[in-house]
Amino acid sequence: MATAVATDLNFFQVKRGFFSWIFSIDHKRIGLLYMYSLITFFLVGATLGVLMRLELLNPGKDFLEAQTYNQVFTLHGVIMIFLFIIPSIPAVFGNFFLPIMIGTDDVAFPRLNLLSWWLYIIGALMALSTLVFGDGPADTGWTFYAPYSVNTSTNVTISVLAAFVLGFSSILTGLNFIVTIHRLRTPGMTFMKMPLFAWSLYATSWIQLLATPIIGITLMMIVAERVFGVGLFDPSIGGDPILYQHLFWIYSHPAVYIMALPAFGIISELLPTFSQRTIFGYSAIAFSSLAIAFIGYFVWGHHMFTSGMSGPARIIFSILTFLVAIPTAIKVFNWVATLYKGSINVQPPLLYALAFIFQFSVGGLTGVVLGALAADIHLHDTYFVVGHFHYVMFGGAGFAFFGALHYWIPKIWGRMYNIRVANIAFSILFVGFNVLYFPMLVVGLMGMPRRYYDYLPEFHLPNMISTYGSWILAVGLLLMLGNLIVGVRKGKKVGRNPWNGITLEWQTPSPPPLQNFDKMPELPKGGPYDFKQE
Amino acid sequence: MEHQNEQQEHKQTHHIISYKEHFSTLVALLLLTVLTVSISVFGAELRSLSVATALLIASVKALVVAYYFMHLKYDLKIYRWLVLLVMVLFVVFLVLTSIEYLNR
Repeated sequence: MATAVATDLNFFQVKRGFFSWIFSIDHKRIGLLYMYSLITFFLVGATLGVLMRLELLNPGKDFLEAQTYNQVFTLHGVIMIFLFIIPSIPAVFGNFFLPIMIGTDDVAFPRLNLLSWWLYIIGALMALSTLVFGDGPADTGWTFYAPYSVNTSTNVTISVLAAFVLGFSSILTGLNFIVTIHRLRTPGMTFMKMPLFAWSLYATSWIQLLATPIIGITLMMIVAERVFGVGLFDPSIGGDPILYQHLFWIYSHPAVYIMALPAFGIISELLPTFSQRTIFGYSAIAFSSLAIAFIGYFVWGHHMFTSGMSGPARIIFSILTFLVAIPTAIKVFNWVATLYKGSINVQPPLLYALAFIFQFSVGGLTGVVLGALAADIHLHDTYFVVGHFHYVMFGGAGFAFFGALHYWIPKIWGRMYNIRVANIAFSILFVGFNVLYFPMLVVGLMGMPRRYYDYLPEFHLPNMISTYGSWILAVGLLLMLGNLIVGVRKGKKVGRNPWNGITLEWQTPSPPPLQNFDKMPELPKGGPYDFKQE
Repeated sequence: MEHQNEQQEHKQTHHIISYKEHFSTLVALLLLTVLTVSISVFGAELRSLSVATALLIASVKALVVAYYFMHLKYDLKIYRWLVLLVMVLFVVFLVLTSIEYLNR
C-alpha cells in the first residue's frame, strides 16, 4: 500500500445516479450489482420451486401440465445453477471483500470486472427470454442431455447460448481473482497469511478458469448439431450421447466445487470471529481447498453410472469419488475443532454457519452413498439425488450465502438489522429447509423417480410434508430478506467492527471509502486469525 | 492507494525477443504445419495413428507458441508449472475417457 487517502465520503456517496452504478468499475459497486441481480433471480427460481412443490402436493395433475412441469423444473435448475449458485459468493462477496481483505484498492482488472457483470446480465436475459419465444423454455433439465436436447422443439439453442455467455462471465471473474491474489496482496501478506476466504476464492478461480471453457465448447457442439446437423451426440447421425455426458460433467462436477468452495471460505471466516479464537488447522483448510479443486476434476463419471458407461470406468470413478470426502472431512473437523473452547457469541451469522455444517454434512454423506457404485445403480434419478444436491447446494452454499449476508451487511451499509427477527427468520428457514428436503431422501429411497409431475399414491405423505416445508421455507426467506432490507435502510448505525473480527475489512469504516481504507491497515502479527493479540 | 508489489514488478525484467528468434519460431511452426499436411495426405498407412500424430504435432506447436510468442520461457518458473499442471489435467481427462470408451 503506497499512500493512505483520507476521505469522508464512502463508496455510496462518491457518485450518484443509475448510470454511476451500471457503468461503475469500483469492485464494491459491482459486487452490489451482482447482489441485487442474483437475489432477484434467486426469488424467480424459488418461486418456480414453490410452484413445482405445489403441483406435487397431491398425486395426479393439480394445475400444471406434464410438459409445463418439465419446462418449469428446467428453468428452475438453469436459474438456480447458472444465475444464482455458481456466481453467488464469488461474484457478490468475492468482488466486494477480496480486495479489502488482502489490503488493496480494487481487483486487478476493474473494467474486465464490469464486463463480467454485463455478460452475466446478457446471459440472464437470454435465459429468461426463452419464456416468451417459440415453444417456451427448454424441457431437457438443466443438464441439456443429448440426444433429446438436439431434437426437442423447445428453446434449447437460446438456453444453451445463455449458459455459454454466463460461462464467459465466470471465466473473467476467475481470471481477475487469480491475478488479484497473485499481484495485489498488501506488503507482508504472504499466501500463508491470507484470509481463508481468499484461499477458497483462489481455488475456485482456478476451476472457473480451467473447467468453464469445456462446457462452452460442449454447448457450442449442441448448437452445431441442432443448427448444422453435425453428428456429434445423436446416434442416428453418427454421434455418441455418452460423449456429451462426459464433456458436460467434466465441467459440471468441478462446477459443484465452484459453488461449494467459496461457501467453505465463508464458514472459515465466520467461525473464528464468533468463537473469538484462531482457526484450527489454517494450512490444512487452505490446502484442502486446493485438494478439493484438484480431485474434483477426476470424479465426473459418478454422474454417469447408469448411462451405459463401461464397467472398469465406473469402478475407477467410484473410487476416485471417495477421495473427495477426505479433504472435505478435514475441513469439517477443523471447523468443529475451532469452536472447541472458543468464546462463542451466538449471532445470526454463526447460526447460519452451524446450520451449514449440519446440512452440508448430510449432503456430503448422502453424496458418499451416491458415489458408491452399487448403491447408485438403485438411487440414480430418484428423489434421493434431488434431496442430496439440495442439501449440498442450498443447505450448504445457500446457507453460507445467507450467513455472509448477515455477517457483512453491517460492513457494507454501516447499519445493523434486527438481530431478534434475524434469529426468528433463521429458525423458520432451518425448519422449513429440513421439512422440505429430508422427505425427499426418504421418498427417494422408497423408489420415487425425479422429474415427473405425477407419482404413485404410496409416495403421497412424504410429498405432502415436503410441500408444507416449501411454504415454511418461503416464509422464512421473505422474513429474512425483509429484515435485512429494513436493517439496511433504517437499522442502527454501527462502527467499523460490530463483530470484533480481525481480518482487514474490519479496520476500515462502514461503509468503506471509495479506495477501501482511510488509513494503512495493520496485519495481525500471528496470521489473519490471531485473536490472542487483541 | 496505488497497486502494490511494485518492487516485485521491477525485479522482473521485460525480455525483448530478437527478430531472429521470432523468425526461427515462425519457420518451426510453418515446418510443423507442412508436416501435418504431409502426414494427412501421404500417411495413409498410419490409419488411426494419423489423428494421434496430428494431435501430437498440434501440441508441439502450441508449446512453441506458448514458450516463445507468449514469453513463457522468460517468465517466472511458477507459470511453467501451472501450464504443466493444466496439460496433466487434460491428459488425465483423455486417459479416463479412453479407459471408458475402450472397455465398452
